[in-house]
Amino acid sequence: MPGQRQIFLRIFLTILIGMAAAMGLVRGFTEAMGADSQALLGRVLEGQQGLKRLLVEDEDELVMVYGSSMTDAGFSPRQFDQHIAAMGGDVSAWNFGFGGLNPMFQEFLARRIVDDFNAHDRRLKLLLIEFNPFQTTKTRRNGAKAIEEPYMSLLLNGEEIFDKVVEDPESGLRIAEIRYLRDGVSAEAITTYFFAEPFQESSADASIEKDAAIEERINELFAAYFPKHEQEFPNFADCDWCYDWKGGSALASERSAELTAILAEYYSLAQADYRMQLDRLERIETSDIIDLDFDEDLVVAFIEMVRVFKPIADNIEVILLPKNDDWIQNPPEAVQRLQDVIARIERETGVRVRDFQKIDAVSNDMFSDTTHLNGREGREAFTRFLAEEYAHLLVN
Amino acid sequence: MVFNTPIFFVFFVVFLLIYGLILVQNRPRLYFILVASLVFYGAWNYRFIPLLVGSSVIDYYLALAIAGAATAQRKKLYLALSVAMNLGILGVFKYADFALESTASFLTLFGIEATLPTLAWVLPVGISFYTFQSMSYTIDVYRGDMEPRKGLVHFTTALAFFPQLVAGPILRARQILPQFHELPVPTWEGARHGFLLFTSGIVKKTFADLLAGPAAVLFEADGPVSLLEAWTGVLAFAGQIYGDFAGYTDMAIGAALIIGFKIPRNFNLPYFAVSPVDFWRRWHISLSTWLRDYLYISLGGRNQRLRNVMITMLLGGLWHGAAWTFVAWGFFHGIIITATHWLGQLKVFATFNKSGSKLMTVLKWAITFYLVLIGWVLFRAHSIESAFEIIGNLHTFSGLPEASSVAIRVTAATLVTLIYMHLQDWFVIARGEAFEQKKWIFWPVLVLLQAICLLVGAPSSEFIYFQF
Repeated sequence: MPGQRQIFLRIFLTILIGMAAAMGLVRGFTEAMGADSQALLGRVLEGQQGLKRLLVEDEDELVMVYGSSMTDAGFSPRQFDQHIAAMGGDVSAWNFGFGGLNPMFQEFLARRIVDDFNAHDRRLKLLLIEFNPFQTTKTRRNGAKAIEEPYMSLLLNGEEIFDKVVEDPESGLRIAEIRYLRDGVSAEAITTYFFAEPFQESSADASIEKDAAIEERINELFAAYFPKHEQEFPNFADCDWCYDWKGGSALASERSAELTAILAEYYSLAQADYRMQLDRLERIETSDIIDLDFDEDLVVAFIEMVRVFKPIADNIEVILLPKNDDWIQNPPEAVQRLQDVIARIERETGVRVRDFQKIDAVSNDMFSDTTHLNGREGREAFTRFLAEEYAHLLVN
Repeated sequence: MVFNTPIFFVFFVVFLLIYGLILVQNRPRLYFILVASLVFYGAWNYRFIPLLVGSSVIDYYLALAIAGAATAQRKKLYLALSVAMNLGILGVFKYADFALESTASFLTLFGIEATLPTLAWVLPVGISFYTFQSMSYTIDVYRGDMEPRKGLVHFTTALAFFPQLVAGPILRARQILPQFHELPVPTWEGARHGFLLFTSGIVKKTFADLLAGPAAVLFEADGPVSLLEAWTGVLAFAGQIYGDFAGYTDMAIGAALIIGFKIPRNFNLPYFAVSPVDFWRRWHISLSTWLRDYLYISLGGRNQRLRNVMITMLLGGLWHGAAWTFVAWGFFHGIIITATHWLGQLKVFATFNKSGSKLMTVLKWAITFYLVLIGWVLFRAHSIESAFEIIGNLHTFSGLPEASSVAIRVTAATLVTLIYMHLQDWFVIARGEAFEQKKWIFWPVLVLLQAICLLVGAPSSEFIYFQF
């Protein structure tokens, strides 16, 4: 029997040491290829850190716009502050728009944000939550399967992960493993985002011919833009969510003429027909942006997120950001589905939903692609619009 | 609970700790294996534990009754009860809805619109495996191939033994039961081989998951697919199903071996087969030998071979799932096996067969592999119509395939993966023992392979055979 125990002990240690060594190799590989939590959710993680800091340092009344990459691209917090100040108000706005988060992930993040607000006994004067229709579709959710657990591992807190382990040990332990042993990066995420590229091709890429001259020029503009940007704004080179820019980006007035010219040319080329077609098809493929077949779980998650936020905000509204209807035209059934969802959000949360998809302040040439406002006229126009729209809540 | 998940890692480590380091007596260990196995099974759905335990209890007592029966008629009656119970469980849980839906469809042919109620019950995981395993015990006892063994806990534990519970191999009582009466003492050499098999299995499972994507391009396509995509899809599915199932059973055999239990091999390089008969000697060996021993031979074996082969293969197909595609798959294999037998009797082919020329072997391999691939189309397609459409795609030259660089890369990766899996298995079978001796290479390679499997994966990692 002692001999047996020795063998079992040897087996036991072999498994532990072997797995530890394998996991060490995995961490080595992933770090070497830059596949870490920062690569997956860099802007979110930086935003979370920034939030902790701002809750201590920023004593003004706070405004937050929370949403997707459309918010990230379309809202300038510092410009908003300037507009409100010009109207006699004094607030501090922050951009909490994050690309790639569907409402389920946004809900987890919302819980963390609310935890921080409660921990610092702070409130928001105004919270605008973007409802992004195409981020709430079944297609979008299916496309996010590979990152569901990694994102959850990074957005849930320890207590929630423990609850998950108790409630569903299989999934809970996977999430715990991803969080504590893999720095938030699962095998699925690595495969999908870091290894799969040579084997992936969207049907759009296969079906639409690109204009080589435009592509080449855009590459030249990129090559010129980034060093120039870094030179002009050296403090913002290493951040995805920059505290000093309040989660937004440089104001148009802060950019040099040269940088402005590069951007202007880029935005002009970006609107080339074939690029817009490619972008539209990609959005259809990955997000069902035209037909909008909503995912029930994502709609519920969005509603829950609004409920989670409500207690920390004096004023809260859900908004839909401008839509480029030159390229994105929804059939009547999709519009009806959207209206139904909007009505449901209002009914179940008691929060007003404002539809800014078509507003006079923003025109279709202010987009950089089929969905995002560009960083010049688009962002400025929409930010000004929001300031004017909500000034009555912020200016005494 | 799936082998390649953190929860199984935790489960197995805790199991080893208690089984190997804390418990010392055989009986507590036996009880502990049973409890651990039921926990393992209950992780899917604890409601089906009574079904598993219940069927093992009934078969255990029926086996004793068969052995103790005074007359042949009594023996037959007890055996019939066992077979009826096991097939009844399978029938209710697995085939009832299929039968009802098929009946309703059949009636519509005569203009009768029948709305038959369906059960829509959840299929208990592993039911096809453990009912066959349990049934083989009573049949063996009836045939006098083994004596019934006293010990209900031993029998239940053998049936519920967690490594092989949910997806086989389908063990014979005489292979596994004695190991629970005298719990095996693990050896370091055995455990080391277990680690090799487990790692080999996890690599195959990882590759199988990666092949699911190209396979889906064909089988889940909404529109037309190119010739290249069609062949890539079929090859990918061939790799997926092999990696998935052979990978799972390698992990099962490896996990069992680590704690000292010996489970026979279930796959033997099936895509190296040189005839359909040879394929079934290499693919899911525990099922094909079960069907041979308990069905084909019971039907009369070579007497009326055509009929018996067709019945065996049709039921073998149906064993995999309650759908006409599986029946068609079984039928197809029945036809090609029968054709192989028939061709083998022709003088001209017999001469070729005996010639042993390499060219002939390659030709036979190519034809067999082609037929197996066609079979996989029937197996994987959503309907028979869809299968025929895909088979049509595979043989329709509609101009040059759109061989974009991405498509070629996918095809190349699929082929490399498929070949690698077989080469790896060949290496484990032919060179595994020698490799295990070279500990300075062996362990780093195992760690590296585990790391690769931890590094890559695909979102859907359920085992295909769990549904059977």
